[in-house]
Formats: sequence, C-alpha cells, structure tokens
Amino acid sequence: MSLSEKNSVVFAYESSVHSTNVLLSLDDQRKQDILCDVTILVEDQRFRAHKAVLAACSNYFLSRIVGQVDADLIITLPEEVTLKGFSPLLQFAYTAKLILNKDNVSEVCKCAEFLGVHNIEESCFQFLKFKFLDFKSDQQECPRKKCCTQRCRKTNPKIGNVDDGDLEIDDEAEELLEKECNQTPDTKLCKDEENAKSSPALQDNANQTCDPVHLERGGVSSLSSQCPKYRKFQKAFGNDKVHTSESNSSIKDIQVPPIATFLEKEISDNDGIQKAQECVPMQLVSKCEETQVKMEEGEEGIEKKDESKRDSVTQNVSCPVEKMDLAAFPQNSAAPHGLNSVSFLHTCEQYGNLNFSSMQTNTVLAEKTVSGTGIGNDRIESQDDAPSKVDLCTREATNITSAGDRSSVEREVAEHLAKGFWSDIYSTEACQIHLPPAVPKECLEPVYSGKKSECPWLGIRISESPEPCSQRTFTTLNSVNCPFISNLSTEGCSNSSEISSGDYVQGQQQEQCPYNYVISLGEDSETDTEGDSESCSAREQECEVKLPFNAQRIISLSRNDFQSFLKMHKLTPEQLDCIHDIRRRSKNRIAAQRCRKRKLDCIQNLESEIEKLQNEKENLLKERNHILSTLGETKQNLTGLCQQVCKEAALSHEQIQILAKYSSSDCPLSFLFPERERTAPSDSELAIPACIELADGLSGVTSTNEQSSCYQCVKSVCDATYNQIQELHPVSVRTLEKTSLVEQCGQSGGITDFCQQMTDKCTTDE
Amino acid sequence: MEAAGAVEAAAKGAFVLGNLAEVVERVLGFLPTKALLRAACVCRLWRECARRILRARQRVAWVSALEPGPAESHALVRALARELEKVHVLPQTVLYIADAETFSGHEECHEQKKARKRNSKETAIALEKLLPKRCQVLGLVTPGIVVTPMGSSSNQPQEIEEGEAGFALLFPKIDGVKIHTFHFSKDLKNRVFDESKFAEAGLKNNPDLRVVLLFGYNSWKSGATRFLHQIVNPLNEKSIILAGGQVESFTSLTSENNNAQPGDACGVVGLAFSGPQIQSATVLLDQDVADERTAEAAMQRLKAANIPERNTIGFMFACVGRGYRHYKTKRNMEADAFRKFFPNVPLFGFFGHGEIGCDRIVTGNFVLRECNDIKDDLLHGYTTVMTLIHLGSTKANQV
Repeated sequence: MSLSEKNSVVFAYESSVHSTNVLLSLDDQRKQDILCDVTILVEDQRFRAHKAVLAACSNYFLSRIVGQVDADLIITLPEEVTLKGFSPLLQFAYTAKLILNKDNVSEVCKCAEFLGVHNIEESCFQFLKFKFLDFKSDQQECPRKKCCTQRCRKTNPKIGNVDDGDLEIDDEAEELLEKECNQTPDTKLCKDEENAKSSPALQDNANQTCDPVHLERGGVSSLSSQCPKYRKFQKAFGNDKVHTSESNSSIKDIQVPPIATFLEKEISDNDGIQKAQECVPMQLVSKCEETQVKMEEGEEGIEKKDESKRDSVTQNVSCPVEKMDLAAFPQNSAAPHGLNSVSFLHTCEQYGNLNFSSMQTNTVLAEKTVSGTGIGNDRIESQDDAPSKVDLCTREATNITSAGDRSSVEREVAEHLAKGFWSDIYSTEACQIHLPPAVPKECLEPVYSGKKSECPWLGIRISESPEPCSQRTFTTLNSVNCPFISNLSTEGCSNSSEISSGDYVQGQQQEQCPYNYVISLGEDSETDTEGDSESCSAREQECEVKLPFNAQRIISLSRNDFQSFLKMHKLTPEQLDCIHDIRRRSKNRIAAQRCRKRKLDCIQNLESEIEKLQNEKENLLKERNHILSTLGETKQNLTGLCQQVCKEAALSHEQIQILAKYSSSDCPLSFLFPERERTAPSDSELAIPACIELADGLSGVTSTNEQSSCYQCVKSVCDATYNQIQELHPVSVRTLEKTSLVEQCGQSGGITDFCQQMTDKCTTDE
Repeated sequence: MEAAGAVEAAAKGAFVLGNLAEVVERVLGFLPTKALLRAACVCRLWRECARRILRARQRVAWVSALEPGPAESHALVRALARELEKVHVLPQTVLYIADAETFSGHEECHEQKKARKRNSKETAIALEKLLPKRCQVLGLVTPGIVVTPMGSSSNQPQEIEEGEAGFALLFPKIDGVKIHTFHFSKDLKNRVFDESKFAEAGLKNNPDLRVVLLFGYNSWKSGATRFLHQIVNPLNEKSIILAGGQVESFTSLTSENNNAQPGDACGVVGLAFSGPQIQSATVLLDQDVADERTAEAAMQRLKAANIPERNTIGFMFACVGRGYRHYKTKRNMEADAFRKFFPNVPLFGFFGHGEIGCDRIVTGNFVLRECNDIKDDLLHGYTTVMTLIHLGSTKANQV
C-alpha cells in the first residue's frame, strides 16, 4: 500500500510571477516587433501587436480577429476610437498599467467601453473625471459638468430600480441624453442596450430609442464624426419636434428642412428628413409607454397617455406637457414646486437649445410654453392654452422662414426662446417680453470669443463644423451657460430628486435675458477671481515648453534635490534662468497664498474681536448710564434723608458745620449744607435739634463727639453704598453688612428703609 | 401535583438549555459580549456556543463621547465604561482618539481650574483597563475630533473642534483581515532609518497590505519631517492606501512586543490593515476646497471610487486650520458633505497638525494612483484627507 500510494502523490508548483513575466516578455516582443501578427490602424497611425493578446483583452478584437485567416491582418478601427484613447489601452493590454491624465481620460474611457477591454473598472474613470473636472479646470463650469456626469452615473445603476422615487421619466430621458452626450454614439448604443437589459420596464423604451439611433447612424455616419455629442440630442429633439409638428402641419413643413440641415448637414435630400420623422413617432410612443410603466401613480398618467395617443393628431402638443406633469406630480410631494418647474424648463430648453441653431426652436418654444404652463398651473389649463400658443409659434415660425438671413433667424429664435423661457417662469400665460433682436446677438459674440478657451472640456469642435455660423452660436451658448447651470444643478443635486441636465440650453437663456444674470451673479464673481491664477499657470507653461522636464517638478523638489537636479541636466543659461524664475515665482506664489490666507484669517479674527469688543463697549456704556441714573436717585434720596434727619434733630448751624467738617466731601451731607445755607439758613436751626434728637435716639449721648461719631456712622453707610454703586461690585453682601450696621447704630426708619431700598437696587442691578 | 409539574418543567428546561446547542446559541446570541463571556463559564456547551457567536461577530463597533460630564474623568472613559457592557463585539484592536485639551488637562477653565486638571497618562491607563487584556490599543490625542454618535452608522457625524470629545473604534477579529499597530520612533543616534523595522511591523513583504494609517507625533521637533518622509516614502512605493496626520501625541500603545510611551523624540505610530478583501479609497481636499460645492465635489469623487458601503468606515483627517473658519464659519461642512454622499458610513477622525494622504484607490482588483516622475509628496498642510476602508463583505448576523 504505502509504496504505491507514495508514488501517486501529486505536487503542484505554482509561480506567482509567471503571469507578469509572460506579459513583460510579450511587451518586449511587441516593442521589437517580434511575432506580431496584426496591425491596428488608428487615425492613420499603425500599431503592431499580437492577435492573441488583443483578443484576450478585448471583446471587440476577439470578434474582429476570430475567423480571420489572413496571416498579417490589418484592422482599421472606426473613428470612435481615437489615437489618444487607444494607445494607453494597448499599453494596458501589455503591461496591465493604464496611464491616465486629464487630456486622455475621457477618450480612454470611451475607447475602453467601445473595445470592451477587460479588467478596467469604470469607477477609476469616474474618479478621475471628477478629479480633473473639479480641480484642474476652471471652477466656474466644471461643477455643472461634474454634476451632470455624476447624475448620469448615478442614474445608470438605478435604472433597474424603477420604483425609485427620484427617478422620473424626464430624468430617464435626460439621462439617456446625457449619456449620449458623454459618449460616442456606439458606446451609447451599448449603454442603451444595457439599460434595456437591466430593467424590463424600460426595455421597450430603450430598444426603440436604440432603433432610431441605428437609423440615424446609417444615414448620418458622416455627421457622427463631426459632433457625436449632439447627435443624441438631435434625436431627442426630433422626437419633441414631431410632437408639435403633428399637431400643426404648417409648423411641420417649416420644421422639417431645418431638421434635415441640422442632422445631416451635408445631406440635403429628403431621405434624412424622412428617417428622422420616422424615428420620432417611434420614440414618442416609447416615451408614452415609458410614462405608463413608470408612473405607478398612474391612473392619471395612463389616462393622459391614452388621451394623447387617441388624439395624436390634434393633441400631440399636450403630450409633452403631460409627460412633464406626470413627472411633476410625484416630485411635488417631495420637492419644492418651484425647483421642479425650473428643472422641467431645463429639460424643455435642453431640447430647444440643441435645436435652436436650426429653426425648430419655435416648436420647442411651443412645447416649452405649454409645459411651463402645465407645471405652473393645472394640466388641463395648460392644455387649453396650448392651441393658442401653438398658433403663436406658427406665426413665429412663418416669420422666421420669411426671413432669409440665417443669422437673423437665429437671433429671432434665440429671442423667442428667451421669451418662452421667461414667460414660463414669470407668468403662466405666455406673455411676451420684447427684447431688441440685436441685443442677444451682440451678447453672444464677445462672450464666445472670450470664453471659448476657458471651457475646453466641452469638447466642441468648432473647426469641424460645416456650418460655422450655427455651430458657433452653439459653442457660445454652451460655454456661457455653465455658471447658471451649475447653480441650478447644484440645487438639483441637493434635492437629489431633480438634476437639471439641460446644460447646453440654459446658457443661451442666460445670454439673452438679463434676469438670468441675477441668478448667476455669485458664480460670475468667482470666475473673475480665478482669471489671474489661470494666466499665471499659462505663462509658466509657456516657459515649460522649452524645458526637458515639467515645471511641477521644478517646483516640488526640495532645495538640495533641486540643485543636484540642475547639475544632472545640462542646461543653457536661458533655461536655467527660466527654471529659477519658475521656481522662485511658484514659491513666491505659494508663500503669497499662505500669507494671504493667514492674513485673511487674521482679519477675520480681528473683525470678530472688534465686533465682540464693540458689543462689550455698548453694554458697558448702557450699564454706566444705568448706574449713573441710580446714583443720581440715590443722591437725591440721601439728600432728602439728610434733610429729614437734620430737620428732626434740629441741629444748629454750627453743629451742621461741624458735621460737614467731619464728613467727607463726597458725603451727601456736605453738599446738603451749602445748599441749605444758600437756600434757607433759617431752616438749619430747625434741622439741628432734629439731628440731636436722632443722636439721642441712637446713642443716648449728646456730646458732639458722640454725635459726630453717629453721623460718621451714617455717613459711612452712605459712603459705602455710594462707592459700591460707583464701582458696581458685588454689592449686596456688603450692603447687607452695612444695613445691619446701620440697624445696630440706629433705628431711624428712614435710614433702614433707605438701606433696604439700596440693597434691593444693588441686588437687582447685579 | 403542582410542585411535581413545576419540577418536571424545570427539568425539561434544564435539558433544553443543557443539550440543544441551537436553542442555546439563539438565546445567547442576544447577549452583549461581556455577558456572553460570563455565560460561557456555565458549561462546555455554552462555552462552545459563546465562542461560535463571538466568532461570527465581525462588525466594527464604536463608542463615542460627545458631551462633557463631571470633571473627575474624561468623557470617553465614562462612555467606554458604560458602553463596553452593551457592545456586541470582542475588541481585538482598539483605536481611540480624544481631544487634547480635556484629555491632557491643559484646559484653562475659570471656575474649575483645579478640578479639570487631569493626567493624560492616568486617563490612558483608565481607558486601557476597561479593554480586554489581549487587545491592541492605540490611543491618540488631537486638537479636535470628528465622531459619529453611537447607535446607527447613519448618525450625523460631528466635527468637534473644541470641547471634550472622543471615540474608540473597536475592531473585532475579522476573517481575512489583519489589523496591527506599529510604532517607529526616531533614533537619535541613527540618522538612517532601519528598513528592517518595516519587516518587523509587517509593513514589508506583506502582499496583502492594503491600508496604513499613520500618525506622527512630536512633529514640531527638528528633523521630524525628514523622519516622516523616511517612513512614508518607502511605504508610498507600494500599492497601498496611506492616510493619517500629525497628532498632538499618542497616549497608549499596547501591542505584543512593547509598551512604548512617547518620549521627547518624534515618531510615528499607526495601524496597518492587511487582507485581500479590503478595499479602500482616499481623496485629498486641498486648500482650494473651501466651500460647500467643492467639498461635495470631492465627496463625489470619493463616491465614484465605488467602494462598497457595507462594513465600511470613513476616516477624516483634517487640519486644525480648517473646520468652520475655513468654510466661512459654516460648521461641520465636510462631515455633512460626507454624510450626504455616504448615508450609512460612520465617519471618524481628527483635526491635527498636518495630513498624510493623496488621491488613490486600492481594491483587490486594481490600484489607481498618481504616477509622476517625481515622488508625490504625501505630507500636506491645510488640507483634509478623507478615507474609506471597506473591511470585506462579511455577512452580518448581528445588529
């Protein structure tokens, strides 16, 4: 037994470094072009690689490579895959290390998704997107963008979760849009399909939205390369457009050519239009279904939907309104109404915005007004209003078409949009605010030139657009919008129920309506201050171009390291100067920052200190006044008392004088006497006996000494209280002592009463 | 008759409680740890049941003290004494942080100046006495405390910049997670740091190491920064999360090998978390993060790291210069922002004299970190480091 079993024992040797080393040697092979059997063409650049490695790393390559017998295969990647995005991924395939920076992160993300690269987790892209958007870029606009993407992300996982109260139909539509806007069409498609899988309720919707995309894609492949980001928006708009267009055939006629021009700028024939139109109804239906499924509040919603379906010809205009309303109802329960309406407007405007370069804005405007009123008032009311508004729009549309000049049309459209927006917000009736048409135009141009450079991440490629005019307006609007949007979107975030996705649209409004500036004022001021720091870094970067290493490095090295570093590199004197300059400047900047911060803190502290001290002073002054008034009262009392005492004791004038002599100057007695002498010398004679009487009562001895001592006693009481009041010390105890002393000394009711009074006063004062 | 019935019933009860492990386990499962340990003395069956129950209790628990009380002892001591009776875990590693002013007794208080004078050493000993003997304790005192009140992990975390406060995090033995404390102090004779100490502390040749929380003390000493760099830089080369800050001092450190006390030299104490299932992410909120929007943006970034939120704790290491002054007198900004994005993660931390950290994600599957050609500096000032540590998805069979 033992021998045979011992022979059959199996050992396993496992190397922990094998996989890494295999990968390393594969990478070496790739670099030396050994055994490479495939060439990848990306944007005219060739990459050599191994089929097996690529297929193992990516779904896309697996499907492209499997079945190919060609010995030296050449794979040309579609234009969705960019050079910037692909080369890090290829490196990742061979090294398991992905180098990401601000410039390439979004491209890499898109490409990774498109290529289906394994072992890359989405969360790292998202983390980095936030990081770069938040801190490295202009702070004015990044937050909104961030918000938008974040929302997008958030909604993705949630899609399966239909019951989630925060998710509304609108949200979903928006989210689709957003997703699309952030990704290439293809990846978008994938996502949509994912969505469909994840939530059966959404399936119809998603599939249908996908279909049009496909259609469009087929028709407009050239367009996709130009502005992939907007395509989905266009699609969505097309959707909305059709709603209105069906209600008003005249509008439709006017709208359709622009759609075509916009969607397929190069294809002017009607095929494109037809396709777009086909897409739109489908989407409409899907949206309706979506509303049905989603709104479990739904009696109302379903009713409305049915209604809308039934009257698709006449009442299609109301359909969007209903949708909005449906969304609004559940939200209203949770969130403030005002915000909702604003965000809805956002979505509306989003549609409108994207379209707006073409003339379809009119219809969008109509929708907008309708939806706006719907939100602001009752749904029914809005429906009633709808026809009239649509008429209005038609009129406008005809006006626009009559105006041949494109830019003027745009202007008008923009104006209309603005009007629509504001009428929505400020009055539920579509009241028109007439802005001079020239104003928006003027606004747009300078802003465009100024801001364009500041928002590179919007990724708008102006140069590529065949219609520079419309595109340009686009960019302008987009870039300008951001502050406003960020404002709103942050609001939305905080509410967490509604996040405005209508980035692009909003800005436009802002330009045209002065009111919007009011909203975004705070943000604007921030952007101003950020300007100088930007310019500073830009200057630095200029210098840096000439240097073999990056400026960050120069700055971050410690002194010793820096010097050895300089020695290491052979540098020309200019470069040295430049480096020193950079280093000094950056150090100075850091120091200045710190200093500023410290100073600001200091100032703040001092300010609060000042405030505190002022408060204190005020209090003290008040107290002083109070004390002074008490003192006056007390003096009066004392004087009265002394008079009384003197009267009762019937002191002689001499006696009083003696008394005054013994009493200190601040004793009421002393100022009593001059007064007495002044006023009624005859009275003094009466006063002295009283005094003597008192003295008798007190001590039973009538000698002047005794008397004086007695008066001393009274005086001391008076003094004490007087001093005490002046100083406002814890009086009560001492006063009490005095009181008892006084009680010991004499039973004159007046004095005790007085003392009692004083004590009371002092205690209350305290 | 009745008496016989009663006796019979009692006998039955005794039989059930003496023989049916399932019943006993269910019953004992409701007991907090201390009571359970007492019950374990009854018989073998109960002991086995108690052992099983204790082993299953792997959620991190914490005790927090927020409001000052009577003067004779620190609020944390009282809270710990009270709450340890109710706690459902058997702590194996404890990290406690208390605010420096009240803990060390430097506080200037007009009325009760004498009464408040306390010895930090005594307080630390009192705290350690409350904890099980074999447990590793790391105690720090810092100028300010960030703490989530006891009870639910979704309680609103509080930033307490002044006033008596503290917390103690009780880590039980968690399957697949090793937590140990370490302490390096600067050797005055040796300028070069001995790398072998890393191996001793389990920071070297430990492939499962995921997170290291580092706390420097006596950082005002000359050479402290250099020393800290010597510690941080080799650690930073690994794919681990580094987070922490400079604290006022550390008050207790009981581990198997030494019972060190802070001397005059500077040094570093810390906690190392190793285990393949640990996932962690950290973000750095730098000086520019000075309002609600940017703070929330940073939290969104942390959220985007997609760390699971069950069985996860959050740490916040902030600068004393931040807090409400930094946010234009808005209090509790960062903690609120954290709560907004992580509704169910308890948050702990402190306000210290400097922070260690960066933007980084470490999970079992990947590492995301900055890679500049130069070494990135992890030591910061005037910043906040926010860290999430997920200790694996243990099935929680307790509250």
